[in-house]
Amino acid sequence: MGLLTDPRAGNGAVIKFVMKWEKLLCLTLYVTGVIWFVSLAYPDFNDNTYFSENALLPGLVTNEFNEDGGAKRFHDELLAEMKKYPDDMPYPWLLAKFRQLNLDVYTHNFTLNYPLSQQKFTGQNVYSILRAPRSASTEAIILSVPYRSASSIHLTTAPSIALLLAFAKFCRKQNYWAKDIIFVVTEHEQLGMQAWLEAYHRCTCGQDGVLIAGDLVGRAGSIQAAINLEMHSFKIGSIDIKVEGLNGQLPNLDLVNLANKMCAKEGIRRTFQRRADSNPKDKIRKWWYQFVTMMSMVSTQATGVPTGNHGVFHRFGIEAITLEGFAKSGSGTESTIYNIGRVVESLIRSLNNLLERFHQSFFFYLLPSTDRYISIGLYMPPLALIIAGLFIKAFSVWLKLQESTEKKDGESDAVKQAKSEELVLSHIAWEVLWTHILGVATLSAPRLFTYIGIKFHLATENSVSLGLLLLTIVMFIGTLCFERYRTYETASLLYVIALIELATMLLCISMHNFSLALVAAVVYVPAALTVIPKKGNESRFHNLRCIPWILLHPLCLACTVVAVYTHFTFPDYTIIAFALKWIQASKQAIVFGIIDSMVYGNWLYSVTVCVLLPTWLIFWIVVTSKPILRISK
Amino acid sequence: MRIAVYPKCEKFLTSICEWAKGCLKVIQLQLQSCAKMRTAFAMYFIQALILSAIGDVGFVSCTSDVDDAFNEELMLKPLPSGHVYAHFQFTTLWRTDIETETFQHSRLFPRGLGEIIGRHNVRELHVSLTEGLWRYEKWGYPLQDTGSGAEVYAWFNDDRRIDENWKSLTNALAGLLCASLNFVDVSNSLSPDFTFRPSGAIPRPLNSSCLRYSSLPREIVCTENLTPFKKLLPCDSKKGLATLLNSAYIHNTNYHSIAVDVRPVCTNAACTQTTIELRQTISLVYDTMTTDSQDWSVRKLFGIGLRSACPLATLSRVYVDVTDNETSETYRLVPEPPETLISLRGGQENRIAVYDIKSLSNAGMFNVAAVHSKAKIYGVEIPPVLFANRYVVGYGQERGGLVTKLHNNYWKPLDVVLLENIPWYIPVYTHTIRITCQGKLLKPLIKRYVPGRERERPYYLEMVLRLPPRSVTEFSIELDYLFLKWQEYPPDANHGFYMGPAIITSLLPTARNYTALPQDGSTISSSFNASRDGYLVQLRTEILLVSLPTPDFSMPYNVICLACTAVALAFGPLHNITTKRLVLKPSKKNKLVSYIREKLSKTKVDKIE
Repeated sequence: MGLLTDPRAGNGAVIKFVMKWEKLLCLTLYVTGVIWFVSLAYPDFNDNTYFSENALLPGLVTNEFNEDGGAKRFHDELLAEMKKYPDDMPYPWLLAKFRQLNLDVYTHNFTLNYPLSQQKFTGQNVYSILRAPRSASTEAIILSVPYRSASSIHLTTAPSIALLLAFAKFCRKQNYWAKDIIFVVTEHEQLGMQAWLEAYHRCTCGQDGVLIAGDLVGRAGSIQAAINLEMHSFKIGSIDIKVEGLNGQLPNLDLVNLANKMCAKEGIRRTFQRRADSNPKDKIRKWWYQFVTMMSMVSTQATGVPTGNHGVFHRFGIEAITLEGFAKSGSGTESTIYNIGRVVESLIRSLNNLLERFHQSFFFYLLPSTDRYISIGLYMPPLALIIAGLFIKAFSVWLKLQESTEKKDGESDAVKQAKSEELVLSHIAWEVLWTHILGVATLSAPRLFTYIGIKFHLATENSVSLGLLLLTIVMFIGTLCFERYRTYETASLLYVIALIELATMLLCISMHNFSLALVAAVVYVPAALTVIPKKGNESRFHNLRCIPWILLHPLCLACTVVAVYTHFTFPDYTIIAFALKWIQASKQAIVFGIIDSMVYGNWLYSVTVCVLLPTWLIFWIVVTSKPILRISK
Repeated sequence: MRIAVYPKCEKFLTSICEWAKGCLKVIQLQLQSCAKMRTAFAMYFIQALILSAIGDVGFVSCTSDVDDAFNEELMLKPLPSGHVYAHFQFTTLWRTDIETETFQHSRLFPRGLGEIIGRHNVRELHVSLTEGLWRYEKWGYPLQDTGSGAEVYAWFNDDRRIDENWKSLTNALAGLLCASLNFVDVSNSLSPDFTFRPSGAIPRPLNSSCLRYSSLPREIVCTENLTPFKKLLPCDSKKGLATLLNSAYIHNTNYHSIAVDVRPVCTNAACTQTTIELRQTISLVYDTMTTDSQDWSVRKLFGIGLRSACPLATLSRVYVDVTDNETSETYRLVPEPPETLISLRGGQENRIAVYDIKSLSNAGMFNVAAVHSKAKIYGVEIPPVLFANRYVVGYGQERGGLVTKLHNNYWKPLDVVLLENIPWYIPVYTHTIRITCQGKLLKPLIKRYVPGRERERPYYLEMVLRLPPRSVTEFSIELDYLFLKWQEYPPDANHGFYMGPAIITSLLPTARNYTALPQDGSTISSSFNASRDGYLVQLRTEILLVSLPTPDFSMPYNVICLACTAVALAFGPLHNITTKRLVLKPSKKNKLVSYIREKLSKTKVDKIE
């Protein structure tokens, strides 16, 4: 404060420059940042991927996998079993198969107490451990498959279970394993995997008492890496490598490169974000193609929802990816289970070679195609530029405030000034406090909403969304009705605080989930920069500045995003059908967000409600406040 | 020359055991009546319990005039899990007193080892180097329990200069066995009170201050350890069973363990004379699943047949445990065993085929093979009476937890001693200790705890627990991961740090799945028909790999370190130049006068400066 309130401070050249060119500077920074980021997908601005970890020795072994016949038999048997039990996992069959291979086989039971109603769901995972002959069970590699019953809405994974068993059979006969291999077949998609990992590490990641993971009987030391398989067909046209994990965490780039290289070695077509690499000669077209792929990754990562079972591993320091195989569509070569088996063998054998945990290469990156990457060093500066505008704006507003108070209170005595400042400060502190308390209250509100909703016989999603909608309306009306009159100084100070909080929050988020920070910054920064606290002499159109802020309310923003998504998913709907679908989808999206935060510890909902919402409220207060002129003597 | 347990001794033994039992009854009565004294008595109780079984009651004698003897034995045992367990034991007995012997002259006893023992005033020495993990659940109990990696413990004759002796002993052993035992020092050594008791004859009671135990779980065991091990044998690897020890074959197993144990044992019933017993053992577990057929033979396991016995050996035998034949699997031994023993031990009946190599040696290459007549079906393995698992819980590099699970499958409660060996870089919180069994808290009968000190000593936690019948008891404790100094990280810093195994000691009332030698026996043959009141097991749990917080030892990190060093170096002179004052010195006209003046005014100048 001492530096900023220095009376000589206003005279510096830099300060004068900032004061004079503030608007242009902010605009330039924002535009430069966005253009810079967009141009990162241009081939000249990013790099080819490479292997950083030498110990992986990718593709140096002679592949020996020859159990494709076994896989076929397992697949036929499994299909017969699935017909018999269309809704359940064929536990006895799986257990028997693993036991016949003379592996240690265990089951794991878990329970989910559905947090927003009094429902209970149970599930069971089957896992089996191949004890490595070369070590004392200190390290392990995981090969996992989510089981999908015949009645599941998702694409089947039966071929990958057959492959898993065939691969286990193959591994059992080899004697070079230095790490135990754990074969896991999970139920209920990510929930089963999450429960298994929580049981393995004996901890709870979400809220207490929601996911009861229980305990495991067999363990195999510290898990080094995991490969999740989702093969939808016995003959596949392409393999999609999925990386995005919970809260936007990513696996080590070396593992992603390894999977890409092994697929390439076997001649399997590989895709990223379901987009195969295209190599047009025109650089601009190439840039556009890669930019769309990159933005697809950004949009997936920003939600913080894992794209597969691999996503829940990252929190535990386990590098994991999902290989998703799709049946051939259109032209191109077709790969058999033999090739996929060899890919899995190469992957696991490379991981078996690892001497240390994955620590080289990158943990923070964006991928514009399967073989190019943008590292954290490249993508952070554009975001920093975008956010820098907020700080500059805050600084200049503060300086202007200093100037105006100096002019006004130039003659009045120091005691009086201190008194008025104190008043303003306490007022501001109160505004900041109540907005944040409201944010935290909203965080824990869903349980209350459902509790009340049950009394009115409302479905969970209805009661939660209705509750949040009511809360939002109350916020809008409340801020418009009560205490709208603020002095210019109070409004400006609040504005400065909101700017600094938004900027700091965005920087903090960017360290954890870059994509989320980027999306939030691109949307919120221009709106935040255009806010001007009222002095009383503005035109009537000044109030129009409120409109973007209505749309920027986190709830409205979420609904807008869902609307866009719905439009793209169901383009041929009529307006009424679309609206109905949209409302339904929005309600579900909100409930999913809340459930994710309770079960998996996904912090998208928490961050939105605890940080973004209070900041939005402060901005809203600034925008909607009516000026009172200072009574001067 | 024959080795046998005196019939007299057995009587003596049983009488001792009865006496101990009597004591126990009295103690137990007192325990019930006087809860306050409980801890003290319980401690005595455990000691009595272990002493009665281990104690100083081993008698072995050499009946001929020659005062040393050598025996070589091999036990082959097909395990129910489809593995084959091969245990070599080479026993050297030397009728001399370990305390007075100078080890200047020896016939069969390796002089190199003898000198190390004599020089460091060692009473008992146990060293083992193990690769892999003994899976108690599947394989039952081994002939010898060893923890993964290197493990060494020794009893000294007295506790004078014991830390020095211990350091020097492990250094010498490191040279002898080509293992990294030189990394053993005070900071990773323990003197547990209950877990280890002297296993041989003791002239006077030794307390745990004469004991040092250490484990190096990171140690990798390979050929370079086997070669010096073989050189300790009288026939080296030229003749006898040791010719089977081909490193290419024995390191291709699921578990291999090399151990050297030296202890003094009583020569006669009155224990007026003692004998030094050197037991060299190699335990191997082969996996028959990796090959196409389940048949196994000596040639298949070791790559070579057996040509002849070691000429210096008194006893040269191969045993095959054929108990499971015709029950869980069906095979035929080729050649037919000349003799099949039936061993009754603690309610367990074993059939053992015996091949005497001495008598077979004329018939050329000797090879035992098991030929299966039908494929083996892997059934459910019955786990042993007592086994344990240990693992680290939690995630992240800040804090975690340690859990040890003890399974008691016996129908009666079992008393066990649990020794937790926690290195200094993993500080534990004693207040977080929780011992639960079937949802209830279990109170340890005795608890010993010495907190560790950074870089000086490990955390020592030893507890005596009474495990309820047919139960799983869980011990858990919370811990932190320490951030080490940067020189303390190994070159592969991101591999993680190892935590040695916990040791669970108990006297089992039944010999189910039990194969170990009795405390008073020296050879494998002494374990046949050796029913005792209790069967001592010392289970080792898994070793654990933990990730400590690791700095980024990559190029940028090094650059930062280097740049900081350069700045620090530049800072010193700059600081000096800018802060020191130049002071004028008085000119020296008269040397003597100026000298005196200088002396006189020195204190003043100092003050000014």
